[in-house]
Amino acid sequence: MHLIGPKSAASIPAAVAIATLLGASVARGDETCNSPYMAKLIKGQEDYVYVWALGVDGLGDGSDKLVTVDVDPKSKSYGKVLNQVSVGTRGEAHHMGFTDDRRRIWAGGLSGGDIYVFDIAADPARPRLVKTIKDLAAKTGFIGPHTYYALPGRMLVQALSNDKDKGGVTGIALYNNEGEFMARYPMPLDNGGDGYGYDLAVNPTKNVLLTSSFTGHANYMRPLGELIKDEAAMKRFGKTMVAWDLKAMKPQTVMQVPGAPLEIRWSLNPGDDWAVTAAALTSKLWLVRRDASGQWQAKEVATIGDPSKIPLPVDISIRRDSKGLWVNTFMDGMTRYFDLSNPEAPTQTYEKHTGRQVNMISQSWDGTRVYITSSLLANWDKAGADNEQFLRGFQWDGKELKPAFEIDFTKEKLGRAHHMKLGSKVLRTAYVAPGPR
Amino acid sequence: MVISAVDLPPVREGRRGAVVSLLALSMLWLAAPPAHAHQADQPRMDFVLPPPGTYELHRIMRAPDGPVLTVDGRLEKLSRFTRDRITLLGFIYTSCPDPQGCPLAYRVFDRIKEEIRGTPALKDEVQLVTLSFDPARDTPSVMKRYAGRQLEDEGGLRWFFLTTPSVRELMPLVEGFGQDVQYAVDRSTGRPVRQLSHVLKVFLIDRSGYVREIYTSTFLHPRAIIGDVKTLLME
Repeated sequence: MHLIGPKSAASIPAAVAIATLLGASVARGDETCNSPYMAKLIKGQEDYVYVWALGVDGLGDGSDKLVTVDVDPKSKSYGKVLNQVSVGTRGEAHHMGFTDDRRRIWAGGLSGGDIYVFDIAADPARPRLVKTIKDLAAKTGFIGPHTYYALPGRMLVQALSNDKDKGGVTGIALYNNEGEFMARYPMPLDNGGDGYGYDLAVNPTKNVLLTSSFTGHANYMRPLGELIKDEAAMKRFGKTMVAWDLKAMKPQTVMQVPGAPLEIRWSLNPGDDWAVTAAALTSKLWLVRRDASGQWQAKEVATIGDPSKIPLPVDISIRRDSKGLWVNTFMDGMTRYFDLSNPEAPTQTYEKHTGRQVNMISQSWDGTRVYITSSLLANWDKAGADNEQFLRGFQWDGKELKPAFEIDFTKEKLGRAHHMKLGSKVLRTAYVAPGPR
Repeated sequence: MVISAVDLPPVREGRRGAVVSLLALSMLWLAAPPAHAHQADQPRMDFVLPPPGTYELHRIMRAPDGPVLTVDGRLEKLSRFTRDRITLLGFIYTSCPDPQGCPLAYRVFDRIKEEIRGTPALKDEVQLVTLSFDPARDTPSVMKRYAGRQLEDEGGLRWFFLTTPSVRELMPLVEGFGQDVQYAVDRSTGRPVRQLSHVLKVFLIDRSGYVREIYTSTFLHPRAIIGDVKTLLME
């Protein structure tokens, strides 16, 4: 074992470059909307896309799995599956997140409360399941872990539901990086709060944590066609966002944002104090911003597609300079680009049909590579030929999304392709570097 | 209490001599106090801090323990410097070229020392520990030069500058704290290139030896840290 260090004066300029590359300061954006506490971002060519896939009965082992795809265009296996790690069960695999040191990925399923921890430090191409956290429900009463958001040495986990009535009233759990439970924070039910949760995102320089709201287990596990006919159930969707005091982890301001506001993306440009989200059911973009008095306010700023046709905006991805936003709408399979130069008035400047159903969208640091997956929820995905399951890679030149590669997740017996994270074999984090002793 | 970057007074240049450029300093391998520290941009924080005692600092993990060397070459246990008082501990290496890394930590520690000097009630409650993660280069004598006048008792709080005998003793501490060391890999060979970087982290350790907060460059602000110290003292 050998701890590497600068060995000669000649190495220093490179060391400065490395330090800059690795970004010891706050991230000004991110390659896939990661926590700003995650200091190590991939600012060059990513080598891998990790896809967290829902198992499908009769397809492969039928279990949820973490799939590694080679996305280095110079590689012989470009656009191919390199590895898959099955967790041995099917539990509505959904989202994942890196720990702050980017050594591990936490991933979970919405049907219960289990959280899977994968090590990616030892071999980034071949993640290894190292722990399953099983005490979320017992410690918090929350189920359906959704968002995994790194804080230094610990992880915030936003849940979607609870183990009592399986409705949308839920909360946030705090674990340390070893997976030991630390604290629970219920979503507010007072001052206009509905108690629902979905995504969370932090702006450390404003000491604010923003949360959004979706729906509970009883709704998201139900077949979509059946759900939308149930008028009472359709009222049980989130309609709030909450600004929390991050340091104190206390709700400060509840904002009314009807229609299930989902993913939250902060502009982390110096001086900026705004974030955007998309409300799924109303097909609107919302801006969250501090007003002159310092209060956080939310306002509707744009329409996505034709809301009367319920395009269902799902994932969004903001450019590193916060000047543009990708929006995927599930029902019509469209990928739209909004000019965000003026966040008060986003303008759609491009659209492309990228699949019969599309959900998540991620972009590289420089924005020239865009990745799209297909699955929303097992019981909400389309049926028959419309049930395409894929990872598609595109090149973006600012004018046109050009297909680069595609992996058919059904043909490859992988399941339903959901959340993505990018990986690199040239940026490593380690306590001890491998090398000559 | 609204805090911002302008709350931090500039380091007095005359105190540690002329300003030496970051690169030149690094190339000369001078293990002197980081006079260039004032060049580092402070994190701009534009928010209202919750008052001390109105929030909870959870136990994140137990601080690791192991043998360390003082600037006089004495072998001690790290816990001797991280117990009984509230401790702020940061890893550095004296040749660190990243202005958002070790120099920033040094400057913030220096600022905290100044602030606590003006708050006598805190003086005997807090201590600072700077621990090198480059034992091959940062010997006790190098750490002594790096510490400079900070080792002198000026009626302020205690500031310990420590290193380890070798990587063997260092690694359990680095791993235990989760202070990752980053490196790059040569694409053509797959081998690590010989440069080192780290994400700046400062650890707040309570009197029982538990890490209660971890600051990165985005939250490394003296007033926020002092607020956390006061919160622990109110427990």
